[in-house]
Amino acid sequence: MARQLVVVGSGTGGTFAANLLATKLREKIRDDEVEVLLVGQGFRHYFQPGNLDMAFKGASPDAYSRDEIDLLTKGVRFIPDPAAKIDLENRLITTEGGSQYGYEYLVIATGAEADPGLIPGLKEGSSNFHTGPAGSQRTWESVHDLKKGKVGVLIAGVPHKCPPSPDEAVFLLDELFRHRGVRNDIEITLLTPYPKAYPAEKIAQVVAPILEEKGIKVMPFFNVDSVDPAAKKVYSLEGDEYGYDVLIAVPPHRGTAVVRNSGFGDEEGYVPADRNTMRIKGHDDAFAIGDATNIPVSKSGVVAHLQSKAVSMSIFSEVEGAAVEYKYNGRINCPMELGDRRAIFVSATYASPPSDQSPSLIKYAMKRGFGALYWSALSGRWEWMMDAYFGKTMEPATLTPSGSAELHR
Amino acid sequence: MSAVANRKMVDSRGSFCPGPITDLFKAYRAANIGDEIEVWATDPAAKSDITAWAARSGNEIVEATQEKDYLRIVVKILKKGR
Repeated sequence: MARQLVVVGSGTGGTFAANLLATKLREKIRDDEVEVLLVGQGFRHYFQPGNLDMAFKGASPDAYSRDEIDLLTKGVRFIPDPAAKIDLENRLITTEGGSQYGYEYLVIATGAEADPGLIPGLKEGSSNFHTGPAGSQRTWESVHDLKKGKVGVLIAGVPHKCPPSPDEAVFLLDELFRHRGVRNDIEITLLTPYPKAYPAEKIAQVVAPILEEKGIKVMPFFNVDSVDPAAKKVYSLEGDEYGYDVLIAVPPHRGTAVVRNSGFGDEEGYVPADRNTMRIKGHDDAFAIGDATNIPVSKSGVVAHLQSKAVSMSIFSEVEGAAVEYKYNGRINCPMELGDRRAIFVSATYASPPSDQSPSLIKYAMKRGFGALYWSALSGRWEWMMDAYFGKTMEPATLTPSGSAELHR
Repeated sequence: MSAVANRKMVDSRGSFCPGPITDLFKAYRAANIGDEIEVWATDPAAKSDITAWAARSGNEIVEATQEKDYLRIVVKILKKGR
């Protein structure tokens, strides 16, 4: 029987992991020694950064999703039946349809979900651009012909996907309202739990003067308590309140139902994993990557991609009998659009925090360029370019004989 | 119940900005008035961030100690919500 390598979750990290494993192991797959299974959430794959364009530029959702099957490398067996339960002790995946799959190695890439229902009144009182195209389109409907009033962008929970996205939202709203000639009649406010407009100090220093120049207000230390949709007010745990005409929220996030229902997630449903190896704590044959983990690093597509690569290389190495594992160094690279075709990149590793930088048209063009390459990058075609751009993002480490014995249980 | 029994430990060592204050906010959301939250952090920004938040929110820093290789800071929850 072929050795089973199972990836659960067909977003950025899961799709890339399945493709990379199938590419690296194509001869073993051809000879029926190995099988790569991708247990996906459904038939469609969504480019989540497109939500910003839908919410604040009125872009059509059509350009931001494709059929998952068209994104997969030959050799990946795709199961479009979402996982309902993951049994790490017995190495068994059960899908919502009742099928079961055993595994020798497992990669959990089930992402995170934004749930406005976790804060009283938030679902009824706000729109958002973190739950998918429908929410993003509702956000566009709430702002595209607004003529006056108060618009609040509320960070209603941390951590959340795409850390720069709330700042991008206020900048793109400013651009939208200025182009429509109504900016002077609309007040824009960023409500954030953090001390400043961005959690990383150097980036906050870049962003603060631009916000001030554009007349965008910031309410710091605002941890949302509840929303009163009838009164159009949002209240914080710190005792502040904010009255709004339009409220756009970044909802609280948590791990997905499959992790929450499988008994190994933390209290928020995230998978406890090592920040370098992405191995699930206590399970040397199982890994977790991307938004699904509790690793203190940005929940973003780039992180999912880079962790996916390191994990796939470690699994490939073990399948080939080599005692090498690849350690991710915490590299992040989150673009932040500032309006007027300017952008910066929030780049860091575990060892080096984000550094100071200047907004530029070139960085805006790079953000757009990376977006355009997204679909083909899932195949691994552009890894040579990724490697040149990102530099070293993981370190191969030889396992000790005793460690190797433990890892290959 | 003793004061120690109402103290929630938050170990944010090795986590960099915004890790410690994010962890503090999670504990704050679950805390009751009178509880204490003890944060351990290695991020140098943690002390100024947590101190500023406590001053802004009406909560009290009851202890801030620089241990050998981490900061230990205790916040007493005096105010939460309206």
